[in-house]
Amino acid sequence: MGYVRGLKCRECERKYPAEPLYVCEYCFGPLEVDYDYEGIKNVLSRDVLTSRAENIWRYRELLPIDGNPIVGLQSGWTPLIRADNLAGELGVKELYVKDDSVCHPTLSFKDRVVSVAISKAAEFGFDTVACASTGNLANSVSAQAAKAKMKCFVFIPADLESGKIIAAIIYGPNVVAVEGNYDEVNRLCTEITNKHKWAFVNINIRPYYAEGSKTYIYEIIEQLGWKVPQHIVVPVAGGSLISKIRKGMVEFQKLGLIKNIDTKIYAAQGQGCAPVVTAIKQKSEIIKPVKPRTIAKSLAIGNPADGYYAYKTVTDSGGWADEATDDEIVEGIKLLARTEGIFTETAGGVTVAVAKKLIEQGVIPKDESIVICITGNGLKTQEALAGRIRQPVKIKPNIDSFEKIVHEK
Amino acid sequence: MAKKIVKLIFPQRLIKEPLTFKMAKKFNVIPNIRRARVTDTIGELVLELDGEEKNVAMGIDYLVKAGVDVRPVEGDILD
Ligand SMILES: Cc1ncc(COP(=O)(O)O)c(C=O)c1O
Ligand SMILES: [Zn+2]
Repeated sequence: MGYVRGLKCRECERKYPAEPLYVCEYCFGPLEVDYDYEGIKNVLSRDVLTSRAENIWRYRELLPIDGNPIVGLQSGWTPLIRADNLAGELGVKELYVKDDSVCHPTLSFKDRVVSVAISKAAEFGFDTVACASTGNLANSVSAQAAKAKMKCFVFIPADLESGKIIAAIIYGPNVVAVEGNYDEVNRLCTEITNKHKWAFVNINIRPYYAEGSKTYIYEIIEQLGWKVPQHIVVPVAGGSLISKIRKGMVEFQKLGLIKNIDTKIYAAQGQGCAPVVTAIKQKSEIIKPVKPRTIAKSLAIGNPADGYYAYKTVTDSGGWADEATDDEIVEGIKLLARTEGIFTETAGGVTVAVAKKLIEQGVIPKDESIVICITGNGLKTQEALAGRIRQPVKIKPNIDSFEKIVHEK
Repeated sequence: MAKKIVKLIFPQRLIKEPLTFKMAKKFNVIPNIRRARVTDTIGELVLELDGEEKNVAMGIDYLVKAGVDVRPVEGDILD
């Protein structure tokens, strides 16, 4: 048995049973999973956690499933890397990279949320899972549905890059390319949710799905020796990850696994799609939707579902926010690759670029602990680098030709 | 009859105008306010609109033409 008490409205706190519901009937606020923390406190300790297998399910009491998970046994427990080379470049003392570009099975942090969503969907008795996506989510849902032997529908805007489409189609889902922009795909999927009895991981299963993000910060805390970092820079699209990072820290504190939380949380977005950053800078808790224009397509959500909570998370923590231009994103990708040997996608480029800015501006102090969240793999967004990186040097197949270019260097 | 849940975002210049009321009268749509946030520069309103399907659609169109941002309440769920 799990420790889920039910769902709770994040706005008016009305309670609902743990069913495939996602909005409050009264105020239309989003619903969130509520746990029996007293019960969990009796069974979870640092020792118990440390003794468990290294995947997201080591935190299963804090995840909303009742039985055994059916997917995700290879997801999570990704490296937290002490990034001394990058630290040197940025002039800071203690810097870490939490590297979900190697999260399995599909190389982004979405494998965490989807593992939970699909396990929950199976418990609810759904035989079909679905999602609306611009890439990473589609890849993860397709792969994990295959493993779970569930039917799968993935909705994408028709003009998506072919690389992303292939990385979904290979697993055998029904890929539906909608002739329209993201907003229209979104709207269509909400309508489909009302009509078909499907588990849309980021619509009607969203409260459960979102909980999977908490494992990202749980791992960081464990990997730091049961400590929170003083600063954490997080990429923001829908705003779910960043708000769950906060929730995860608060839960560990409630359970007595850590004492104080003094972490400042920073939001990173691409310029051209930075509605949360803009709200934080203008100190306005209302998020103004935008039409996305950035090479960081995985973060290109103009009207973030959890935008308000992302805003609250950052401001309540005493953190701040900034945005990265397309050029800065590419520079961020290159910087991380050159210093740490990690090839991240555009979202990671955004995080690195924004962390660099915030350090240069003196917003993040140089002598405190900093974590940079790297959430996706660079092999998926190679198009973004086209024409922006060096070409290999061409030579004739003889030693003279080689010696010539060596001396030119 | 149709019910539609929408989130309206009013820019500063429209905050003081009774646009929702005008729309309701003009198209015979019943607005049921569920949630609101207003600051000096922007206003956000979550509403349920109840009326003939085509009237609800025309009402929304009217608000959009007036400069209000109208979205389904679930927000953008793309990830
Ligand atoms: C690689 C990557 N990083 C970060 C995010 C942002 O997560 P969220 O939508 O929870 O803000 C996404 C997806 O949306 C993503 O694909
Ligand atoms: Zn509510």
